[in-house]
Amino acid sequence: MNRINVLLIEHDISKTLLENSLQASGFELLKTQYSPTFLSLIKEISPDIIIFNLDTPSKKLLADLQTLNIQSPLPVVMFATDGNVDTINQAIKAEVSAFIVDGLEHNRIKSIINVAIARFKHQQCLNNALEEARAKLEGRKQIDRAKAILIKTQNFTEDEAYHTLRKLAMNRNISLGEMAKNVIVMSELFK
Amino acid sequence: MKTFIKVTEIWIPDKDRTQLEFGSGLYGGLIDFKEASEQQLFAYNEGLPGKAWAAGHPIVLTKFEHSYFKRTAAAKKAGLTCGIAIPIFSGDFLMAVVVFLCGDDEHHAGAIEVWRTNPALENQLHVMDGYYGTLHRFEAISRNISVPKGQGLPGLAWQTGLPVLIDDISKAETFIRTSDAKQAGISMGIGIPVSDNPGQTYIMTFLSAKATPIAKRIQIWIPDAQGKQLICQQGYSKNSNDLAKMFETITVNKGEGALGRVWLTGVPVITGDHEPDYNPELDSLSSMLAIPVIEQGRLKAIVSFLF
Repeated sequence: MNRINVLLIEHDISKTLLENSLQASGFELLKTQYSPTFLSLIKEISPDIIIFNLDTPSKKLLADLQTLNIQSPLPVVMFATDGNVDTINQAIKAEVSAFIVDGLEHNRIKSIINVAIARFKHQQCLNNALEEARAKLEGRKQIDRAKAILIKTQNFTEDEAYHTLRKLAMNRNISLGEMAKNVIVMSELFK
Repeated sequence: MKTFIKVTEIWIPDKDRTQLEFGSGLYGGLIDFKEASEQQLFAYNEGLPGKAWAAGHPIVLTKFEHSYFKRTAAAKKAGLTCGIAIPIFSGDFLMAVVVFLCGDDEHHAGAIEVWRTNPALENQLHVMDGYYGTLHRFEAISRNISVPKGQGLPGLAWQTGLPVLIDDISKAETFIRTSDAKQAGISMGIGIPVSDNPGQTYIMTFLSAKATPIAKRIQIWIPDAQGKQLICQQGYSKNSNDLAKMFETITVNKGEGALGRVWLTGVPVITGDHEPDYNPELDSLSSMLAIPVIEQGRLKAIVSFLF
């Protein structure tokens, strides 16, 4: 099994308990401090997981994590001393997989990371399923809209509109949803 | 499907009607050129749109460098080498200037011509200006012929006062230069009357090859006999387009929809927006330019170019 690449971001540049624990647990480790080049660093080194060890996440860091989550989501574990509910909520909003307050214990680190990775994967599955459902719903909405356009402009019945849409899609060798988009765009041109 | 025309713009008189401002435009992927254009203003007789306004007839500018063209550097970067400006007048008053910009690569086969009546030869049209790209032989022939009223593409457009579209020039008996056009790879053409000053007629012709059509589809809309509705008289594209044909069965009331607005205002319109994901290779239509053909203050037809 390949070793898990961990990007550790700590305020303290000296050797820390967390760093030692990660190394002892067999993770491939790169340690750095948080900087404005955080996102480009991630792009460059493509870690499997990011672990933060800090007092409290800054607004800029949370914003960066939200961007990361949109661009290329990764499991993120955050060890912090700030247990404020607002801070926790903001971290969860930024899609942090695990937020641990004052819980840095050598014997728990490996399981925390494994749980975070499993949770991240599960969350990704849910996100993908949600996205697929949204796309299907959007496609269905567009088909309905295209049908309504054909009914209005061509005096078709609903059945005729649907069959025409299907025939047009088949002739062009494209999906019904794509054809619906074409019909909508065409009607927009004449609007 | 690559089209012959790369950029289409509409320039309209500003609030004071003393200079032209950007109305709308279609730029495909040429985002930098779009940005360079949107802030431009053209005074009367300034730049390509301003010159067309002052001249009162269409202008073809085949070279931008060392000319009055104002966006030369941006055009060069975008690979645009030729411009055609068509002023739309209602009587003495300018409604808008439509500008087409084309690229000059080897794979383009096509021509854009401005024909006008020859004062010396009554009832004859000759090429006043034209862009022929690499079709040098066809250019030489075209510049040396005169076309009588009612004959050939420009002559028919002149006689009827209406746009004339010939979808297969190789088979058209009415097209005078058939064999030369065939040799040059030209397959279709449209002639559009663009200004009807007393004693002086101007006809635009757009000739193009199948590989690089003028637009993805061209339509000619005319008012019905009662002048109540617009109907599509003709629609043409290289590949058959069932969807476009369906939309050509609709009738358009004055003021309703894009074509109805052109009829109501006499001002050309551009609809649709394909900048973010425009793919010239696809047959799908995502934008439209509709130009009015006005004669003595009345709408004779609307020509729509779909991209």
